[in-house]
Amino acid sequence: MRTAVVIPAFNEAEALPGVLAELAAAVPDHEVIVVDDGSSDGTVGVAAAAGVTCLRLPFNLGIGGALRLGFCFAAEEGFDRVYQFDADGQHDPSQIPVLLAGLENADMVVGTRFADGGESTYSVGRGRGFAMGLLRWLVRRATGRRFTDTSSGFRALRRPVLELFATDYPVEYMDSVEALLLAVRRGFTVIEVPVQMRERQGGQPSTRNLRLAYHYVRVLIVLAAGLGRRSRLGAAA
Amino acid sequence: MSGTAHLAFAVLALFALALIVRLVRLQALKAKYSVLWLTVGAALAVAAAVPGVLDWVADQVGVAYQPALFLLLGFGFLLLLAMHFSYELSRLETRVRTLAEQLALLRHELDSEQD
Repeated sequence: MRTAVVIPAFNEAEALPGVLAELAAAVPDHEVIVVDDGSSDGTVGVAAAAGVTCLRLPFNLGIGGALRLGFCFAAEEGFDRVYQFDADGQHDPSQIPVLLAGLENADMVVGTRFADGGESTYSVGRGRGFAMGLLRWLVRRATGRRFTDTSSGFRALRRPVLELFATDYPVEYMDSVEALLLAVRRGFTVIEVPVQMRERQGGQPSTRNLRLAYHYVRVLIVLAAGLGRRSRLGAAA
Repeated sequence: MSGTAHLAFAVLALFALALIVRLVRLQALKAKYSVLWLTVGAALAVAAAVPGVLDWVADQVGVAYQPALFLLLGFGFLLLLAMHFSYELSRLETRVRTLAEQLALLRHELDSEQD
């Protein structure tokens, strides 16, 4: 079984070397695919120095676009399992086996920071807590299922979902919520597993509050409308 | 409106028409837009050059205050145009996005061939 890890990176030259070194130590047999999302800080050089595959976007597409490219590449290269990993060091390589184990009986696995019984120590402020709670509730209404961490970017998928995401991945920010809906709606088995996460190790959060708020409202509208916006990759498929 | 104002607006409309024709000739404006704008330009020119034509149209459709008809038509036209542009922009964005992804894939293919 061939496994690839997709790492979208936008100006993450600071934290990326550590992440790549950790991955090389923890999962040496996984193919690392860094998707450089139009960085200007030498992220590409970091990936090249580490000797991993690096796909270079000519300009910034946002995390959804970068992920779709990574999935598209992994699907074309014939990988069986793919998981997303953050370039900022937020995800813990020791949790990868936990995530992948979930694929034994699901098509897609979401690593959650908040699942009941989880030993998570990840904390969020009150405002963010409320926003995430509202999102959870709406996702529950839309999918009929309970997800505790809808925006988690620590996810693994196997072949059928990979092929879906290679062409139909929500390309706008807060793609993770929409991708969850898409997979559930297409009838795939999606489960959550409790994982531990860390604080980001370097770089800047990719989104400022106002933009975040805008996209949050956009996703609420998408949820309310009951259909996620998807984008087709046309001839690439 | 006074005769002088009519003359001024007729000159302006002619100027707009000339600009449109020039842009089309330079192929700076796609033909599909040129038809649109030429129609608008011609309508403006007629309205400006022939005093009373707007009043006559307003009478025909039963609008008592003629300038309101003009503003209504203009506003409706601009609104439709803005919607159309939003549509075109969305389509273009999708295409540019796909092109960027394809470019990244090709670039990688090229890099690995050189190694």
